[in-house]
Amino acid sequence: MRSLRAFLVRLCNAFGTTSDAELSEELESHLQLHIDDNLRAGMTPRQARREALMKLGGVEQAKEAYRDRRGLPWLETTWQDLRYTARTLSMRPGFVIAAVLTAALGIGATTAVFSVVDRVLFRSLPYPEADRIVSFGVKAPFEGLEFMLAPEYAVLQAQQNPFESMTSLAPGGTDCDITEQNPVRLNCAVVESTFLSTFTIHPVIGRDFVEEDGRPGAPQVALISYGLWRSRFGRDPKVVGRELSVNAKPLEIIGVLPANFEMPNLAKVDMLFPQVLDQASLDRNNPRILLRAIARLKPGVTVPEAIAQLQPWFRDSLRFVPAPFRAEVSLRVRSLRDRQTGDSRVGAWVLLGAVIAVLLLACVNVANLLLVRAASRRRELAVRAALGASRARLIRQALTESLLLAIAGGVAGWGLAYLLLRVFLAIAPEGMVRLEQASLDFRVLLFCSGASLLAGVLFGVVTALNKPTAEWLVGRSSNTPRRGWLRQGLVAAQIAFSLILLAGAGMLLRTLWNLQNVPTGLDAQNVVAAQISLAEHRYPNTTKQLAFFQELETKLGRLPGGGVLALSDTLPPSGGMQATFFASIEVPGRPRPSQGTGGMVGWRMVTPNYFQALGIPIVQGRGFTEADRAPSEQPVILSESLASRLFPGEEPCGKTIRFTAFDRQGPWRTVVGVARNVKNTGLIAEADPEFYIPWKDDLETYIGRGFVIFRSALTEASIVSWTRSQIAEIDPTVPVEFSSMSTRVEKLAARPRFNAVLLSTFAAMGVVLAALGIYGVVSFYVSQRTKEIGVRMALGASTAGISRMVLISMATSTVIGAILGLAGTWFGARLMESLLFGVPPHEHRLLLAVLAVLLLVVLLAAWVPARRASKVDPMVALRYE
Amino acid sequence: MSLCGHRTGGLVGDSKLDLLQGTLDLMVLQTLAGIGDLHGYGIARRIEQVSGDTVLLNQGTIYASLVRLQQRGWITAEWGTSDNNRRAKFYSITKRGRKHLVEDTAYWQRLSGVMARVLAMGEEGGDQ
Repeated sequence: MRSLRAFLVRLCNAFGTTSDAELSEELESHLQLHIDDNLRAGMTPRQARREALMKLGGVEQAKEAYRDRRGLPWLETTWQDLRYTARTLSMRPGFVIAAVLTAALGIGATTAVFSVVDRVLFRSLPYPEADRIVSFGVKAPFEGLEFMLAPEYAVLQAQQNPFESMTSLAPGGTDCDITEQNPVRLNCAVVESTFLSTFTIHPVIGRDFVEEDGRPGAPQVALISYGLWRSRFGRDPKVVGRELSVNAKPLEIIGVLPANFEMPNLAKVDMLFPQVLDQASLDRNNPRILLRAIARLKPGVTVPEAIAQLQPWFRDSLRFVPAPFRAEVSLRVRSLRDRQTGDSRVGAWVLLGAVIAVLLLACVNVANLLLVRAASRRRELAVRAALGASRARLIRQALTESLLLAIAGGVAGWGLAYLLLRVFLAIAPEGMVRLEQASLDFRVLLFCSGASLLAGVLFGVVTALNKPTAEWLVGRSSNTPRRGWLRQGLVAAQIAFSLILLAGAGMLLRTLWNLQNVPTGLDAQNVVAAQISLAEHRYPNTTKQLAFFQELETKLGRLPGGGVLALSDTLPPSGGMQATFFASIEVPGRPRPSQGTGGMVGWRMVTPNYFQALGIPIVQGRGFTEADRAPSEQPVILSESLASRLFPGEEPCGKTIRFTAFDRQGPWRTVVGVARNVKNTGLIAEADPEFYIPWKDDLETYIGRGFVIFRSALTEASIVSWTRSQIAEIDPTVPVEFSSMSTRVEKLAARPRFNAVLLSTFAAMGVVLAALGIYGVVSFYVSQRTKEIGVRMALGASTAGISRMVLISMATSTVIGAILGLAGTWFGARLMESLLFGVPPHEHRLLLAVLAVLLLVVLLAAWVPARRASKVDPMVALRYE
Repeated sequence: MSLCGHRTGGLVGDSKLDLLQGTLDLMVLQTLAGIGDLHGYGIARRIEQVSGDTVLLNQGTIYASLVRLQQRGWITAEWGTSDNNRRAKFYSITKRGRKHLVEDTAYWQRLSGVMARVLAMGEEGGDQ
């Protein structure tokens, strides 16, 4: 208790003004009393005073001991350090800004990117023990993702398998409409009854699906999403058991999904329906239904083990695959996370690599700055040491400065991170996995701040560790060969990192440029497309669908202001066409290929104006005419690549072909023309061969969705509003989505654009950092050699000669840095290969260009201080200390 | 019986300086209790006489001690005049100070008793 009181008193004293006056007075009186005694004892005044002083033991020491006891010494010295640091730093604003900015860049950039990348690469899925959940199935050339055929899935489910639980869902989603008061269109998915239990998710209220719900003829039930529960039912708990009319049929709501529920394919769903598979759909000889399959692995089973255990089933199911295609079918099991992040993964890693490079550059720069600063303060340190400051005291003062800078950099970094994240989210292409949920990750913020703190402290302290020697007092020691290698190393490192960043950015920019200039085969200017989806419950059969489109064509044909109108069932350049195997195309007089599918061939149904509307030239023969749409006519137009594959070296017009569509063999068709190739599976991949058949009214197909294409000089807005009004006259409930063709094409380059922009930003940052760093290093080097330069100039060296001398001293480190950078680029390019398009990994011209740019920057950064050095008056330089 | 000190730095085995300071504090209190109000020089003189220069390294160290005792509230200070009409700061012990002096004295007496017994035991025991 006493000690607490003492501490508090000392605290108060520490903050109060130290008044030594009273102690001085007391010590003076002490001396006087002693002197009086001595005089009485018989000493002379001088002896008396001397003896008294000796006995007292030193006024200053007494005062110091008193002061130490009176206040809190460590608090006072820390406060003193802070004030001193603030003062000295404010005298060197350039240094402070450089250090803080550098640290902020490193911290901010790393944090922002890591927050984004963490979502993509590392964040765990919202299911318990999500790393045991896998997506599995069969991989075939006509389908991008793995799938299961319903009968084979049922067979596997009944057998011994490596899964604790399995579930399946219909691919994609279905449209469903609430068809009672307040109708609204929703997104729905059809899932097996084991769906929620495989993910170990439970409905918030109500019950999960049970097996009975999936039996044919069972009463229709559904689970609704949390969002739908909140928006339509106001979170009313009595929604369980409520009847709802969907697609004109009643169903019962049996439960509500949790708020954080996520579909494995990340689709947004409002309702889940139970999957109903009847006996016919389970016939192995006639598989009609395709499913996506997800399972939870048994404890202790790894993915390779699961693949091995599934082999017997796989071999058995291959029996039902037509022989020619067996070689192209493979088994795939992969974690759900892999399936979700697939193509974003490489991009994310590259981004992370880039940002780490920037962080390292920033650290190197900060270290450089601190070293330079330390060297310039040697004299001051020597003086302080001579005045009695202990090593600990000197180190503490250096530490205070480093910490202050590091904290300032950290705070600025936080702000920058927040800004950068907002920017990323704004420019990110849609569909980048879970990006919208990215927020500043505080772990990373803390880590980065900690890293910069550590770097600052380390380098600040390292420099103060050297014992100040007497030479430091006399002036700058002009020889720093021991430090030379450190400086050279730092410069080399900066050059290497900047080179890697620049080269990477260059490659991505080139990729972007290539992509944007890839010839799509069509003319996207002045073209607007409208996508129309027909709800199944209003248009349940082909007759009604065709009737709708017929009326639509008539009405839209009256487009004011002229222009070209066409209809099509699918639209390039994105995929999604109807497709068939090349092997299924018959040509009279030719044997059918026995092995393999021959790859996919796409086809479209188009009205005659299609080619004109999209600007696709007909290179041989003719396009379709209205007469071709008569029931008796069966023309077909091939794309160039299909024509050259089917009829190499021959004239294709006039030949006949037949193909299988919807499991039925079509009629014999006559080739009437050949159209130019059009990109139809995205921008990067080679276009699949395709052919066109005319849009007729007697097709036995399913047209749930169609596209209307306008080429017109009218503005997009007027076309959109007019079209909507026309469609509303036919059926106001049909949803229509508009977009201009040029936007559609641009969207395909969205991801590469994002990558390129990001990496270029980092490369630019890296170059700026490197330039700053090199400038600092060379300035310091020059200032160290001022005397030497003075001597040289006095002896007759020219300004050019001085500049050359400075630049040559940088040569070694520059060369080493360039070599390291090139090596790093070589590796980096290999890793980035999947992101590149049209850029060979060892493109020499690009590397040379990048090297040239960097060397120019280095030259400039070094030349400025070199020139300044040569301008110094030799007399001044010689006297400079 | 615990040998742990009940004042700061009182653990036996702390630095010698702390021990010295502790005993110095005690001696100052003892002096003030015995003699009454005294100025710094007087206290130092008295301690010199009693302990013969072993505790008081130099007279200046007494002022740190006086500050410490003041912070703990065991003594108070007041400016006044000495016999030879010199202005000096006079210190006096407080009631709390007296109480602490009594406790501390008892502690040191116990300690010296125990130490004596321990050392005697060592001699008797011989080399076991």
